[in-house]
Amino acid sequence: MSTRFFENQEAARRNTTRLVVLFGCAVVGIVALLYGLAVVLTGQPQTDAYGQVVGAEFSYWQPELLVQVGLATLAVVAGGSLFKIAQLRGGGAVVAESLGGQLIPSDTRDPDARKLLNVVEEMAIASGTPTPPVYLLVDEAGINAFAAGFTPSDAVIGVTRGCVQQLTRDELQGVIAHEFSHILSGDMRLNIRLMGAIHGILLIGIIGYFLLRSSMFSGGRRNSKDNSGAFMVAAGLGLMIIGFMGTFFGNLIKASVSRQREFLADASAVQFTRNPEGIAGALKKIGGFEAGSILQSPSAPQASHLFFGQGLRGGLQSLFATHPPLDERIRRLDPSFQPDGAAGDRITGPLAAGAAGVAGAAGLAGAAANPQVRRTLDARPRGAAMDQVGDPTAAHLDYAASLIASLPPAVVAASHEPHAARALIYALLINRDSATKKKQLDQIGRFEEADIAGVTQQLLRDVERVDSRARLPLIDMALPALQRLSARQYAAFKTHVQALVEADSRIDLFEWTLHRVLLAHLSPHFERTATRARHHVSLDRLVAECGLVLSVLARLGSPGEQAIAEAFDRGVAQLGGPRPRLLGAEACGLAALDPALGRLAHADARGTEHLLRACAACIAADGIVSEAQGELMRAIADSLGAPMPPLLPGQRLL
Amino acid sequence: MTTLIVIAVIAVILIAIGVGIYNQLVALKNRYQNGFAQIEVQLKRRYDLIPNLVETVKGYMAHEKQTLEAVIEARNRASSGLAAAASDPGNPAAMKQLGAAEGVLGGAMGRLLALSEAYPDLKASQNMQQLTEELTSTENKVSFARQAFNDAVTAYNTYRQSFPAILLAATFGHATDASLLEFDSQAIAEAPKVSFA
Repeated sequence: MSTRFFENQEAARRNTTRLVVLFGCAVVGIVALLYGLAVVLTGQPQTDAYGQVVGAEFSYWQPELLVQVGLATLAVVAGGSLFKIAQLRGGGAVVAESLGGQLIPSDTRDPDARKLLNVVEEMAIASGTPTPPVYLLVDEAGINAFAAGFTPSDAVIGVTRGCVQQLTRDELQGVIAHEFSHILSGDMRLNIRLMGAIHGILLIGIIGYFLLRSSMFSGGRRNSKDNSGAFMVAAGLGLMIIGFMGTFFGNLIKASVSRQREFLADASAVQFTRNPEGIAGALKKIGGFEAGSILQSPSAPQASHLFFGQGLRGGLQSLFATHPPLDERIRRLDPSFQPDGAAGDRITGPLAAGAAGVAGAAGLAGAAANPQVRRTLDARPRGAAMDQVGDPTAAHLDYAASLIASLPPAVVAASHEPHAARALIYALLINRDSATKKKQLDQIGRFEEADIAGVTQQLLRDVERVDSRARLPLIDMALPALQRLSARQYAAFKTHVQALVEADSRIDLFEWTLHRVLLAHLSPHFERTATRARHHVSLDRLVAECGLVLSVLARLGSPGEQAIAEAFDRGVAQLGGPRPRLLGAEACGLAALDPALGRLAHADARGTEHLLRACAACIAADGIVSEAQGELMRAIADSLGAPMPPLLPGQRLL
Repeated sequence: MTTLIVIAVIAVILIAIGVGIYNQLVALKNRYQNGFAQIEVQLKRRYDLIPNLVETVKGYMAHEKQTLEAVIEARNRASSGLAAAASDPGNPAAMKQLGAAEGVLGGAMGRLLALSEAYPDLKASQNMQQLTEELTSTENKVSFARQAFNDAVTAYNTYRQSFPAILLAATFGHATDASLLEFDSQAIAEAPKVSFA
């Protein structure tokens, strides 16, 4: 059985192919139109300065002209697209900022913003992704939200001011869960490519607009006999019209790729929160709210497909809407929904809130009748962890909430604030063994970071009480704060973490895991050199790496040489093809694991799934999954770009 | 035709470079503005703590009314300075004003804390201990956030002044350097001297 996560990855890939085909069609269509325009324009009889006709003869078939037009169009469209994509390589933050988003400081004390950040944090821990930074679109009064980025580690979530102000916590949770579904299902990467492609097409219209404008402004100076002004006007107008038609193609492409994903994300949101009223309530509020989900930002058109609700006015019911109609989305979540009245009443007051409660209960019962939602209402708390990669359930969300609630308040506060977040990471790295502990504390005292030793000491007492299962989630929680370090502060922090890890001259499993997770998510943010995973290498070409990972896992968990060999074989059996050989103990250092995982990150979706199953089988071979092994499993999954929800108490791995 | 193509290609490259510069300027500016938001959170926290501190101290230090008033006055001034600075981080005048107001506040706080040394009951009060502890840690967070902000401002200024960005920066609305936030340490350094005089 294949888990939904890997299926979704494949689907996203197929959609990319579809996008490329549609995009190709659009470009061919545009070339044809432009060729037509060029034929008409060049074919007209033209007069020279003496009034004599020197025009070329009119012919429909001019191969040379076609090649020229084709090449020029390709250059413009490809240039525009590649340029936009290069710009968007900066990740989700670039998109959020271009839409007018302001980063919410992770230690904000504004109650609305705090509520939102808490919701996001719970979701992140439940789904096993780093907590994404949250941007507030201050100038947008409508209710809307988006997720953008290439990978979970550079993803950001943006919400409009209306969203924060109008929605209750449950509704907010539904919306954020919907966005997390986009993050987990690989839609974001596709969405960014889509933005790039559309920008290229849009460029033709923009060039036309500038041609038209410049020829109109300079038109007065021209000699009336010289008709190049008229030529420019006609060319500009033609380009503009074709550009608009290009936008039409673009919208068609966006709509074709995006609408189905929205239903999927809605359904996932319900599975995630076990609460169809939340997201349905948010959709109803959009329906009943004057500003709806409409966006004001001038950059909104290119990004409309990223959003939670329809962001552009008009075309709501049409072929070109990036989102399915609201009524249809609500009805899939809540079959008892009556489009008229209910949506309008929702927002009016406390009475409506009571009624909403009743309607919500009916919705829950009704939703169970809907097959798509019913499947997701079944929370599967005891399914195997491997089947839930990228596909977290409400049980994980409950677990995350209780995990955060169990943390000492000082630790939670520290994870939200850059200064103390570093101390928190240091404290997590301090060994329980007293000799090493003293050495590490001395080391921290020598760090050139004002007061860090004191803060670390203070946190240490609390951190030592923290459940060891909460250690990795704590790192996920601290990531947004750590991303706020300046480049200089990050460089110092990185060196210090390295020093603390190496303090006892041996690297234990947790230290390695922490280091790995921390750097995997922080380095793309600070170091531009980080290469992106390609995700299309077959596992057959990564046999040695698979062998190393499985050998390390087998040797970590099993006592005797025979048990090691057995665990390794169980792992290999799951690989589905490649047959690596068990490596000797001397070759199995954790240090060798880093580069191997780096190469394995390029494996395709099927390969990644096989490898993760193999790892799980190897770990679970002796029937015991220790906390350290559970953490290691998550770190490996994380390195391979497969977000793995936390292991629930008593849950099977495979 | 060939010349036309060459010109077009060059134009496209130039435009791409120009847009790249524009984007980089915007990104760096956003980064230091985000940096300032971080300072703002901590400074606000500090301004919220100070009235509590004054309230606590009041009962013990009835004779030091002037010092207390000076603290509150300085706190209010710094608070409005922060509001002005937050609306336009990096603006030299606003940064200077906030820096100076913070300097005065630091001095006044220093005097207050130095005076409080003379009141053993006050020092022993749990409330006071908690407040001073929290103020100190906030202070550290402020200076850390300020360091990050100043790093980001420096990165922006350096890029803005580098070639070829310098040619276009003014056209794109990045005509002036952003200003670092320096707290006027003169006033802070003076603090102990005054209290012992």
